[in-house]
Amino acid sequence: MKKAHIWPALCLALMPFLPAQANEALLRHNCGACHADPANPEAPLSRISEQRKSPEGWEMTLHRMQTIHGVQLSDPDGKSDSAGVLFQLLKHLSDTHGLAPAETVGLRYTLERRHNTVDIPEDAEYAVMCTRCHSNARVALQRRTEPEWRNLIHFHLAQFPTTEYQIGGRDREWFPIAIERTLPMLAAAFPLQTAEWEAWQKAAKPALAGRWRVTGRMAGKGDFNGVMTATAGNADSYSVALVGEFSGGEPLEMEGDSVVYTGFEWRGNLRADAAGDKEQYLQVLEASADGSALTGRMFPFDHPERGIDLQARRDDGTPRLLAVSPAYLKRGTTATLTVSGSALSGAPLLGAGLTVNRIVSRDADRVVLEVTAAADAPTGARTIGVGKASLPAALTVFSTVERVEVSPAYTVGRVGGKEGSQPEVQGRFEAIAWTNGPDGTPGTADDLRIGPVKAQWSVAPWNEKAAKDRDIEFAGSIDKDSGIFAPAAAGPNPARKQSTNNAGNLKVIATVGEGESAVRGEGQLLVTVQRWINPPLW
Amino acid sequence: MRKHLHRYSRLGVAALAMLPLLLAGCATAPRDYMAIANRPNQVSLIDLEDRKVLRTCPLPGRFGAGTLQMSPDKRTAYVLTNQFENIYGVDLDTCEITFSAIQSEGNTRIKTTAAFAVSQDGTELYVHQNPSLLLRDRYEVQEPRLAVYRIADGLKAKPVRTYSAPRQVIVMQTGNDGTLYLGGSDIYAMDAATGKYTLKLASRSRQEPRYSQRDVLSIWPLGQQSGEFIRMYTAQRFADETRKPETAELMWGYERIDLATGEATTGDFGPLDVVLFSGMTRPHHPNEMFGALSQLQKFDIAKQQLVKSVDLGHSYYCVNFSSDGSKVYLAGTYNDIAIYDADTLEKLGNIQLPGGDQSLATAQVFPRTP
Repeated sequence: MKKAHIWPALCLALMPFLPAQANEALLRHNCGACHADPANPEAPLSRISEQRKSPEGWEMTLHRMQTIHGVQLSDPDGKSDSAGVLFQLLKHLSDTHGLAPAETVGLRYTLERRHNTVDIPEDAEYAVMCTRCHSNARVALQRRTEPEWRNLIHFHLAQFPTTEYQIGGRDREWFPIAIERTLPMLAAAFPLQTAEWEAWQKAAKPALAGRWRVTGRMAGKGDFNGVMTATAGNADSYSVALVGEFSGGEPLEMEGDSVVYTGFEWRGNLRADAAGDKEQYLQVLEASADGSALTGRMFPFDHPERGIDLQARRDDGTPRLLAVSPAYLKRGTTATLTVSGSALSGAPLLGAGLTVNRIVSRDADRVVLEVTAAADAPTGARTIGVGKASLPAALTVFSTVERVEVSPAYTVGRVGGKEGSQPEVQGRFEAIAWTNGPDGTPGTADDLRIGPVKAQWSVAPWNEKAAKDRDIEFAGSIDKDSGIFAPAAAGPNPARKQSTNNAGNLKVIATVGEGESAVRGEGQLLVTVQRWINPPLW
Repeated sequence: MRKHLHRYSRLGVAALAMLPLLLAGCATAPRDYMAIANRPNQVSLIDLEDRKVLRTCPLPGRFGAGTLQMSPDKRTAYVLTNQFENIYGVDLDTCEITFSAIQSEGNTRIKTTAAFAVSQDGTELYVHQNPSLLLRDRYEVQEPRLAVYRIADGLKAKPVRTYSAPRQVIVMQTGNDGTLYLGGSDIYAMDAATGKYTLKLASRSRQEPRYSQRDVLSIWPLGQQSGEFIRMYTAQRFADETRKPETAELMWGYERIDLATGEATTGDFGPLDVVLFSGMTRPHHPNEMFGALSQLQKFDIAKQQLVKSVDLGHSYYCVNFSSDGSKVYLAGTYNDIAIYDADTLEKLGNIQLPGGDQSLATAQVFPRTP
């Protein structure tokens, strides 16, 4: 199978770094033929100077310039090859024409490749005009002048003339609406100049070298607990080592590099060569303004659906409690809890009704406890502490799992592999347990979220048509323990009606507990055909 | 003789086909042929009676869309290709390319979706153009226009006249009186001599209290075999003017221009149970509407009922008929033509094309002498 690593530019760390002036000269050298004004060569570059966007946004632009417009990137001094120039331009553009952290709030799902996210804008016309093809974040992570938004609209119809003939286009005067209504809306909502960007340009950017305590979660593998070490390299780049393990016991050990764009956009490129796993992981993390936290996701380049949600906290010697795993305990039972943090010392403080039977192990990073919850322990989320460190709502004590939600409730998997160019896209599910709260009614404010629990997984036809077409026999299979759905191979299947693909409309069922007390939850998995265009931002 | 044959085809080729039999020694009985484009980029002439591909002619450039219109004498196929940009006239008996409309020029890129037609006298080609200026650092979308090419200009053809035209025109056809019909958000009638156009049949602009806005997806200029310019719409039909969503029925309907009389008619022809891509009425059976995609469906227009539906071996986009109306030909996607009995919807066979997928190509069926 062909591997499609077409977007590695963000991770080409350890390239020569140039001062800003030299980068500007490099930009003019490579982009000036079309974007410099021949009558006024010193004027800002057209279009480029009139927009701001994320590192991935600039990466896509540079990619398009090369693939569609045949740009050959070069270094007049001969110090860098075209890949090196690409990286330098990306870095320079992201730093000088990027987005402020505040401008990415609520929109990071597309940077983090959370492709299950459903984000339907309130403005119904904009929703059809723009987000019938793109995520809302793809649009909203850009800032442009009004003429530049106009250029973007003209680009759309000139480059993709069928836009106005497709469904959602042919039902309206697409182009007049785009110019007369969508353009002013975009220009007002996403202008080039903003107070956020002005403030961020002036703000001090934190250095991110140091020891980081990392916690997280990956569907199918459980809670993650580890340490990331970042060693400063050339300006804004770091050598990175990540060592940790999942709650199921699987270790994770990776090394690589990272680059910080726009002062806060951490993009790491990690490999687990030591384990013989050549898969490359991309880290997309957002640094907090004070440089104490990194938050986001990491995932294999080819499989963004196999992501680990990450939160990293700088270990600066301050006692800090970051997570408890598992984050729930049933009344009247005994369990082993791992309390993670940094500089942990002192006695564990678990609150009323919980007894520490013994400390299984402890160091400054984690304390492993065997804990018994009394049959009458107060239920609910509670603060857990170790010495001076504490974390609110770190552990939920509950009595009975009364409801199970499959998360995500709706997702799309894709057939792939075989001889095709696109890898398959798995479905990855978690069973989120709940109680119905004191009122006994599900879906009300007093419901108590217990968290992701172990479940037995199965699939069933979503509806009559799926049953008739025998979707569950063709679309793939779910691992009964991990909740990972592996889609079937791509391509027409002669064994199916009309030789159709191995698509399917499936009910994903999580069963928690056994026998009469078992509780079931259901989600929907649509296994469909490959997505052929997979840029960094959807 | 050849020039007039197409007219008689609408009157009933079965009767006409008898004529040469009466002429001793005459071996030029008209029979049905199909012209169809497919990948990598070629057009084939098929003898439908022998179910045999007679000739496959290569086309310049890259494939797409494969929209095809025949010259009135049924000797030359005009094919939209090179990614929706160029239209070539190919002599199907010699594979010689006798005409080309290379639309893009300089920094103007022109795309045509599937909207072009040949004049009734075969001297002019009408093309709906979507131009864009490719400037140094940006694109600029231009107003669409209707360009007229003189076929006699051959390989050096440039537009001899251009007119302003509505946006979103996707199929076109010429009526017997020379009127040019433009299928866009509505159907317009244009005088190709002056470029003046008027609303012929309201579609998107139609206001009907009991119906939702119509949706039309029509990328196939079909219908000549039944003397019509036809496209299908879908709409929600409500129980009454209060338009309560729970009362909505999804309906299929047709928008039809009679090419002989210019009469425009429209109305529902049946319930929407499955998606269909193209359809037309059956020759000599104006009350029977056929449509296809994953199923071949036959409707009774007057009763607005589905008469019969059969599952197809794979998807076919494009419906056409034999001149006598007895056979249905299905084309588009893959590289085969399927043949069905128009009365029973029983499958009669397949014709394999050399090469690959037909994609959005239009299959034109026409009678002519060999």
